Amino acid sequence: MLDGIGTVARLGLAAVWFVSGAIKAADLNQAYIAVQAYDLLPQGVVSVVAAAVPFIEIALGLLLLLGLGTRLVAVLSAVVMLGFVIAISQAWARGLTIDCGCFGGGGQVTASETAYPQEIARDIGFLVLMGWLIVRPRTWLSMDGWLTRRPAEAAVVGED
Amino acid sequence: MGGAQRNARKRKQELAAQRAVLAARKAKSDRNKIIITVAVVVVIAAAVVTGILITNNQKNKTEGMQIPVNKASEQVQVKRDGATVLVGKDSAKVTLDVYEDFLCPACGQFEGAYATQIDKKVEEGSVRVRYHMLTLLNDRSDPPGYSLDSANAALLAADEGKFPAFHASLFKAQPEEGARGYDKDQLIKLGQDIGIDSPAFADGVRTGKYNQIVEDAYQQVAKDPKLQQDFGKGQRGFGTPTLAVDGRIVQTDDPEWLNKLTSQQTG
Repeated sequence: MLDGIGTVARLGLAAVWFVSGAIKAADLNQAYIAVQAYDLLPQGVVSVVAAAVPFIEIALGLLLLLGLGTRLVAVLSAVVMLGFVIAISQAWARGLTIDCGCFGGGGQVTASETAYPQEIARDIGFLVLMGWLIVRPRTWLSMDGWLTRRPAEAAVVGED
Repeated sequence: MGGAQRNARKRKQELAAQRAVLAARKAKSDRNKIIITVAVVVVIAAAVVTGILITNNQKNKTEGMQIPVNKASEQVQVKRDGATVLVGKDSAKVTLDVYEDFLCPACGQFEGAYATQIDKKVEEGSVRVRYHMLTLLNDRSDPPGYSLDSANAALLAADEGKFPAFHASLFKAQPEEGARGYDKDQLIKLGQDIGIDSPAFADGVRTGKYNQIVEDAYQQVAKDPKLQQDFGKGQRGFGTPTLAVDGRIVQTDDPEWLNKLTSQQTG
């Protein structure tokens, strides 16, 4: 039953990473503008982050879909997501008017178009799911389950 | 009794066997865990490398490229006036102010749609255009600064009387927003290709001769209350392209806007 919840969390997050990464990868110029708008990183770093983030997201999505190294991937996902939350929060605190560019888009927007609380709330929701997988990475249909049979299962076989 | 002992021994052996199996499985499981960790790290690293390769490949299309020349009429009068360029006869009844940024995609579309019509009116002598080259999107090229470099170069081209071709060429082969623009050497090469041979042009592009007046002009224009437009949702602001005549914004929703402008003024 608990494995079921974990499975839903894992596949849900896989879908989120896939979609957000694919949209960004489809328009890398826009990704650059989005990262640039946070006004947080030095120029050369902006290019690298804008280039890497979409593909890291796709990779995390792929790994979650396979259920490979679920706990480690959930930790990495949470690190990335926490980075997003911090970036959005600082933009909000500094009074920048930007779109987070979380699912494509991004860049400057008018003040009425900002949606910082919703964006942060959504990301915290994702963080909760990642937290679940960090605490309890066991899920159905995962490569982890297939590659690392638990010794406990073997012990049961020994009983007569 | 004997049966019980036998049973106990058998049980012990079974347990030992079980432990051995468990230990073996645990070793295998640990090894698999290491393999999994390595696999995850490799996948993520591959993603980063892929991203950087793809991005560099896509964004640096303009690198080493020769900006193609887009010819424009050489017959028109060109005069630089501060950070603006006046194209056309002084006697023209209408002076159309055009506010644009060489990186702005909407400006590129505007030029694509109306440049021919505008040039015709300018040659006829019914319209004179005052081009304002702004730096609204100066940080939106990678590396930043294309808006400023191109605006400065265009003013220098105006000093040489070659503004129309320079302007038309840059819009025709407009770099993408968020990608690499053209560097100074490419701008200088374009100038040479359209017939600017004075060393003052190349020097001016390199040193950013008009950078300061371009930036000052942008600050002024962006704050001008007459040039603020509605972007919907109750938001007002300055954007490019903006067209104005006598300080009043001209809307281009109507495809006939240019004809109407000249007929209004003459009729």
